[in-house]
Amino acid sequence: MRPGVALRLALAGNRTDTVRVVLTALSAALASLAGLAALTVLAIPTPPGGRGSNNSEQYTNALLREPGLRGGTAVALLLLAVPVLALAGQCVRLGAPARDRRLAGFRLAGATPGQVTGLVAVEAGLASLLGTLAGLGTYLVGRVLLHRPDARGLLPLPTDVLPSPPVIAAVVLGLPVLAGLVGVVLLRRVTATPLGVVRRTRRERAPRPWAGLLILAGPTAFGLLAPINRWYADRAQDPPALLEPALMAGGALAALVGVVVGTGWLSYTAGRLLHRWGRGAAVLLAARRLTADPWAGSRTLAALLAAVIVGAGAAGLRASMIADMAANRATGQGLAGGEDFYLNTMDLVDRAAQLAVALAAGGLVVALVEGIVARRRTYAALVASGVPRSVIGRSVGWQALAPAVPAIVLALASGLLLIWGVAGRPRTYGAHSFQVCTGDAVRCADPSVLRTVWVPEVVVTPELPWAQLAWVGAGALVAVLVTVGVGLLFLRMSTAVEELRTG
Amino acid sequence: MSRLQARDVVRSYGPTPALRGVSLDVADGEIVAVTGPSGCGKSTLLHCLAGILRPDEGAVRWNGERIDTWPEAARSRLRRTEFGVLFQFGQLVPELTAAENVALPLLLAGTGRREAGRAAGEWLDRFGVGHLADVRPGAMSGGQQQRCATARALVTGPRVIFADEPTGALDTLSGEEVLTQLVQLAREQGTTIVLVTHEPRIAAYADREVMLRDGVVDPTGLGLDETLVPLPAAGPGTDPR
Repeated sequence: MRPGVALRLALAGNRTDTVRVVLTALSAALASLAGLAALTVLAIPTPPGGRGSNNSEQYTNALLREPGLRGGTAVALLLLAVPVLALAGQCVRLGAPARDRRLAGFRLAGATPGQVTGLVAVEAGLASLLGTLAGLGTYLVGRVLLHRPDARGLLPLPTDVLPSPPVIAAVVLGLPVLAGLVGVVLLRRVTATPLGVVRRTRRERAPRPWAGLLILAGPTAFGLLAPINRWYADRAQDPPALLEPALMAGGALAALVGVVVGTGWLSYTAGRLLHRWGRGAAVLLAARRLTADPWAGSRTLAALLAAVIVGAGAAGLRASMIADMAANRATGQGLAGGEDFYLNTMDLVDRAAQLAVALAAGGLVVALVEGIVARRRTYAALVASGVPRSVIGRSVGWQALAPAVPAIVLALASGLLLIWGVAGRPRTYGAHSFQVCTGDAVRCADPSVLRTVWVPEVVVTPELPWAQLAWVGAGALVAVLVTVGVGLLFLRMSTAVEELRTG
Repeated sequence: MSRLQARDVVRSYGPTPALRGVSLDVADGEIVAVTGPSGCGKSTLLHCLAGILRPDEGAVRWNGERIDTWPEAARSRLRRTEFGVLFQFGQLVPELTAAENVALPLLLAGTGRREAGRAAGEWLDRFGVGHLADVRPGAMSGGQQQRCATARALVTGPRVIFADEPTGALDTLSGEEVLTQLVQLAREQGTTIVLVTHEPRIAAYADREVMLRDGVVDPTGLGLDETLVPLPAAGPGTDPR
């Protein structure tokens, strides 16, 4: 097939296909912006000099100024791309029934299975390329518009540096290639035949609660940090440079995967409990749907749960910092100086988590609407036979909330536990003395003018941040509720009698 | 007086007219087949009679009351309690078992789950698919699915069954089996059936056939243009059909 033909066929489609292409492009644009922002932070050159004297002093923000903080800032920016990519993943599923008919039509016209798969890859890749190019354009224009030095010539953002061209090209071209590959992988169990699209389904066993082990592995990995550091300190050695980041990244990833996979088990269990104890048709419909496809909850809630884990971890870290600041004020030990800096940094992390929740909610809307549209004929038949739309609406609500509520609680607990194992333990400060010179500077060399001041022991225990955890949980729950509300707007048009005629 | 009446029903989809003034009376316990070529308005008439669609003009009456002016909720209740609806395919909920699908209308009416399950089992037995009570639609044949759907349409004891090409997706044998069972049970219970089909073989199950053509009832009953084919003079005892 000639590239021009492939291009034309890949972009052929109805309005839903156009919406999918636009949303995929938008997701790719946002992901590329997050990636370019992170790479820009990493591109800031570090002046020569030792620790403390090698700051990049041209910036107002310490997150950019201090080389030790720039890695974390870049990682935080990259993490923002996770819910965006999850949104893109949901977009791929949008309008699947119409696309299936289109693919079957291509096969009927003589296209081979490989050509059909290629068309899907071209569509996803092309939409992503449009998005990354738009993202690059926005980035280049943005860095010019945002280049506003203050009166002292200091910059609020790293608009004076640019990642190297190969790195930029890797982002702009790499994301579309990745999107195309994901499209092909998603079609691995799908065969487009001339008479329709056949999905090879595996007989899946009911989910088991083994994901709990992964969740426990997360805090365990974090909890190992202190003993390992002590072990090396006892031997007057430094731990390997990569050990600490590897333990933290591995632990966080284990907890995240555990929560997401565990949501499958939660969905299944919630479905079984609803089926056993629930009453009414709406509950029955939801219960059976949850047990029939428990992994749907994992897929759709993954990005939201990741944001909740980050939010809960940030809440724990903030509580620990506040405790250490109080200790510093009382004893001179603990987290010293620049309280505003730490709290402002945590505010930024909270904003990032909120943004991630909002993006994840976008993905949830897409998934929910796609689920309703895919089942429109069944819903239309139910409505035609007298089932009130409110019953279907309530069943959609149960389907969304029954796994979401326990999954959000699990994510909150996991995120907090990750941090709490390290930062939640009681710390002892004080119990030391220091000498104060009671005379003038000249006489301070004389021991008789020195006075010993005893600092009493202070045990600091960070308080569990219940209020902030409640806000994070409530925010995620509101996102799910809003999603259900938006999804239900599509229920009326998806249950119109005309849907019964849809082939 | 007929329980179910349509008077001068007009219904369009945008600029395309589907029904252009159809009147029809259906008596209690009668089995009426609505036939005609594709696009003649058969399904639209059925949907108007069942209260699924509202006509643009004209009236639909049930027990003497105009149901086309009722709000959606009231028409839904009517379909749930006094009517049963059957379609060609896609009507069973894929995640529910056969028994749960059949029990669904009873659950909606407030019947307890155990009682609804028992009734569903009995209806599945009547249609010879009782052994599939715990099986989901995806694991059934088209004929078995349609038997479950028919059991669901009958489980509430409706006064009228509206069936839109109920055997359209089935092979000849399965289609005939399903329809034989439906008609037999309807006769036993005195249930009215309004059946849409384009197959003369299926229409033959009905007491009366109403043919539509271009959105109106074809007075010839032959699907022929009366301006082109002169009708034979109807003598005593002759049926113009």
